[in-house]
Amino acid sequence: MAVSTIYSTQALNSTHFLTSSPSSSTSKQVFFYRRHQSQTNRRFNTIITCAAQQTVVIGLAADSGCGKSTFMRRLTSVFGGAAEPPKGGNPDSNTLISDMTTVICLDDYHSLDRTGRKEKGVTALDPRANDFDLMYEQVKALKSGIAVEKPIYNHVTGLLDAPELIQPPKILVIEGLHPMFDERVRELLDFSIYLDISNEVKFAWKIQRDMAERGHSLESIKASIEARKPDFDAFIDPQKQYADAVIEVLPTQLIPDDNEGKVLRVRLIMKEGVKYFSPVYLFDEGSTISWIPCGRKLTCSYPGIKFNYEPDTYFDHEVSVLEMDGQFDRLDELIYVESHLSNLSSKFYGEVTQQMLKHADFPGSNNGTGLFQTIVGLKIRDLYEQLIANKATAPAEAAKA
Amino acid sequence: MTSIAATGLNVATPRAFVRPVVTSLSAPVRLNYPWKFSSTKRMVMSVKATSEGEIISDKVEKSIQEAKETCADDPVSGECVAAWDEVEELSAAASHARDKKKAGGSDPLEEYCSDNPETDECRTYDN
Repeated sequence: MAVSTIYSTQALNSTHFLTSSPSSSTSKQVFFYRRHQSQTNRRFNTIITCAAQQTVVIGLAADSGCGKSTFMRRLTSVFGGAAEPPKGGNPDSNTLISDMTTVICLDDYHSLDRTGRKEKGVTALDPRANDFDLMYEQVKALKSGIAVEKPIYNHVTGLLDAPELIQPPKILVIEGLHPMFDERVRELLDFSIYLDISNEVKFAWKIQRDMAERGHSLESIKASIEARKPDFDAFIDPQKQYADAVIEVLPTQLIPDDNEGKVLRVRLIMKEGVKYFSPVYLFDEGSTISWIPCGRKLTCSYPGIKFNYEPDTYFDHEVSVLEMDGQFDRLDELIYVESHLSNLSSKFYGEVTQQMLKHADFPGSNNGTGLFQTIVGLKIRDLYEQLIANKATAPAEAAKA
Repeated sequence: MTSIAATGLNVATPRAFVRPVVTSLSAPVRLNYPWKFSSTKRMVMSVKATSEGEIISDKVEKSIQEAKETCADDPVSGECVAAWDEVEELSAAASHARDKKKAGGSDPLEEYCSDNPETDECRTYDN
């Protein structure tokens, strides 16, 4: 009797399936064999992975009041869909969920609530107030496709509320004060961003935010910033050396003696050599360019726009720095600038402009902060697509071999 | 089907028969004080709508006063720093609450449409 093994397609005349676990992957793979003469001569098998999905983890670090939530809204908008708090759960939850992304606020991993911190005389910036072990375990679990019960830190009451269930998303963004502080969590991040706001700009933004609150005065805002500064410099600021992209916001150089802080100089510092991340450049990669687009083809109003691009070293890494000083007044300035930047990872001409216009009411939509946040959003989308494509081809290669 | 019976839910239970109590005298007496029973409820509901923003604003104000007091004793102690950190946290929460109120809440149609964009009232045709 002819014994035909199960691996031969000719022997079977109906669908059979066989589960095997290849040594490398952690996912179950189901092989379907089918003999269908009327169809094409396909010799290889259809592999369906009912897998642990590949979650991409992005880290975003910044001090409070520095535009993290604006960045989050722009980022989720690049992927499509609006991000909202989980429906039916705690209304004071800090988590945002959209189709593709879930944003987790790292304040949820505080080990001490507000009264606990007051008793010990410790700020939220201090690592003693945060549970890094739990943070690492849960981020690792979500990255491997396991749902977790994440605690909730209620910013209104200052207490730790009952945990909420978080399903593993396609893209997980962890934003807060310490995403890159713990080394184990840092290893899990596929891409990390740090928002570095200079002291003058921080002061101006906090004044804008807090002057409407009764009880606040210029002195109290200043005192609050000064009091937090030592902890900030000791614990939060050093994280910028680990970031793959740093968005640095400084006062403008175009207006001498400007202290209004309306016009900003923004630098996008991009680390070289990061996997799946190719830095944006102006005209010629690796060269030093200084560009003022306003002239004969484009008329800008005061103070105009100035771009700079150069290679540099940042904390002993090779980086490329793209800098924009000034602000956009009109749509055609924006599209003109976009058409001259290269390696934007946009899917069509004018995508950056379209994204900026979609959120024209967000702060920073007329200057480098909005522009660079949008560009970083597109870069993250590109990184995600490359990572997924890479992970999808790897099991297919193993099956064919 | 069978599972419902298994859980003990017996639909066929006869309802308890309650004899109506004679309330001939109490009804007219109530009508003399209509404000006592209806208006208080309405007041509670309107206060609830704006209270969250006010609660946080009050907290911000209180925390600033506390921080000033704590720091008057010792400006470099951990307590002083923690107090100003609390002020910062509450100010951030207040500004988020203000943004949320500005974004949602004001227009009931917007609120409904953000939850149900596929309904007829909310469909937009851009192109």
